[in-house]
Amino acid sequence: MNDTSTGPIDVAALAEILDDAARSGRMVSRPADTTPLDVPTAYQVQRAAFERRRARGERPLGVKLGFTSKAKMAQMGVDDLIWGLLSDGMLIEDGGTLDGGGLVHPRIEPEVAFLLGRPISADTPPTQVAAAVAGVAVAYEVLDSRYQDFRFTLPDVIADNASAAAFGVGPWHPPAGIANTGLILEIDGRAVATGSSAAILGDPLRSLAAAARLAGAAGIELEPGWIVLAGAATAAVPLPPKAHVRVVGSGLGQVEVTVR
Amino acid sequence: MTGTSKTALDGALDTALDTAAGRLRAAYATGAPCAPVRDLIGTGDDRLAAAYQVQERLTREWLAQGRRPVGHKIGLTSPAVQRQLGVDTPDFGLLLADMAVPDGAEIPAGALLQPRAEAEVALVLDRDLTRERHTIADLVRATAFALPAIEVVDSRIRDWDITITDTVADNASAGRYVLGTRPVRLRDVDLRTAGMVLERRGDQVSTGIGAACLGHPLNAALWLADTLVRLGRPLREGDTVLTGALGPVVTVAPGDVLEARIAGLGDVRVAFAAEENT
Repeated sequence: MNDTSTGPIDVAALAEILDDAARSGRMVSRPADTTPLDVPTAYQVQRAAFERRRARGERPLGVKLGFTSKAKMAQMGVDDLIWGLLSDGMLIEDGGTLDGGGLVHPRIEPEVAFLLGRPISADTPPTQVAAAVAGVAVAYEVLDSRYQDFRFTLPDVIADNASAAAFGVGPWHPPAGIANTGLILEIDGRAVATGSSAAILGDPLRSLAAAARLAGAAGIELEPGWIVLAGAATAAVPLPPKAHVRVVGSGLGQVEVTVR
Repeated sequence: MTGTSKTALDGALDTALDTAAGRLRAAYATGAPCAPVRDLIGTGDDRLAAAYQVQERLTREWLAQGRRPVGHKIGLTSPAVQRQLGVDTPDFGLLLADMAVPDGAEIPAGALLQPRAEAEVALVLDRDLTRERHTIADLVRATAFALPAIEVVDSRIRDWDITITDTVADNASAGRYVLGTRPVRLRDVDLRTAGMVLERRGDQVSTGIGAACLGHPLNAALWLADTLVRLGRPLREGDTVLTGALGPVVTVAPGDVLEARIAGLGDVRVAFAAEENT
């Protein structure tokens, strides 16, 4: 982007705006509306905003993948995944509570998660990716775009840490095939979304391989103990106030959260 | 409805039902889809009985031709599809032995009018289900085994322009079905959380889960068992029950090969001939 009419992008300033928005639960305008934000720069903004979290004492805990279904990619007009960074500050313990007051318009989706037992980097051969997995679990992710109506361009959503807000994982299970694991998302005891993990690129392991590739390209090595949220099995559903949410995964048990 | 007017009304209704059945019969015979039948039998769920009477007329003809009934299919088992058709109940159609296609076999071109496919759980019974009201316990005891299935639905009605009464009259849009070949006992599979993926040449075209079928495929089968008893032709030992789609239905084209995998049940596939060779 050599568009000089709008001037260079102030990565740090954008990161501060988005980080403040996430902390305060307030909407902000889309940066791509007024700046020539491209994808690499958007990831710089994401990284800089995450560094602000680290400066406040949060620790990196893994990565999340987005746009992992063909339907979503087609809807966004993209042909690759996006990823975002997870911190311990976003993790809600199983059965814990989520403070919904700090969120703009949260949505929730059922996912599967990987626990890494070995590092994965851009140099890890795809054939070795599965061997790095120490555990698998049923999970959920709370998405909360800091933009109005969840509407954004690709660079906008990347800068906004792929709409990451909070997540939870169920009990870890030994690595096993989770290519076609049924997932049920219940709100207040009623199934509101159901699907198969096959919706995640055909096999969530492909999402893990993509995480290694994308994060590796950004110079980030996925570390042992990190969690990779592989993507959603269904479309995200609005998360109502005071909801009790449970996600059940076939053979993986369940994970719960209550919105306060 | 009382007295003399009943006879006149019944006569008019009989004619309408016969005409509707004739329209569908012609579509089968010519391979050319027909107009909807709702102009003849009405639409909405208060006209369901009339629609099933049309289905019954065609069923009687098929059985008189010596075609062998082998079970039933259940349709409209997802809330999304029920909403689309404005109903809150599933429907059913008859399965005949000549609708069964072996695993991996090819359906000849021209055999179906407007085929679509969906992955389902099939149950095979080894007891009659003749009680007025059944429980899940009755159904579990009566189920010999489950199999993965692909149902190839078809509509005799042009462009699938159907309301609830159109599809019910048209044998619940039944076409062909394919069963997997490795029986699985209900104790060995969690049908509620079983994942489903349907692929076309390795390309994923539909995904879902057992719970998408009325919460559990057995719930659909329970509805069918009770409904058929009320109609006086209960499910019997040996019957196959196609319980309903686990994910969105997909359109198919000549040359397609589809494979469905249901976690814990296995896989099943079907091919569609590339072109007509008569």
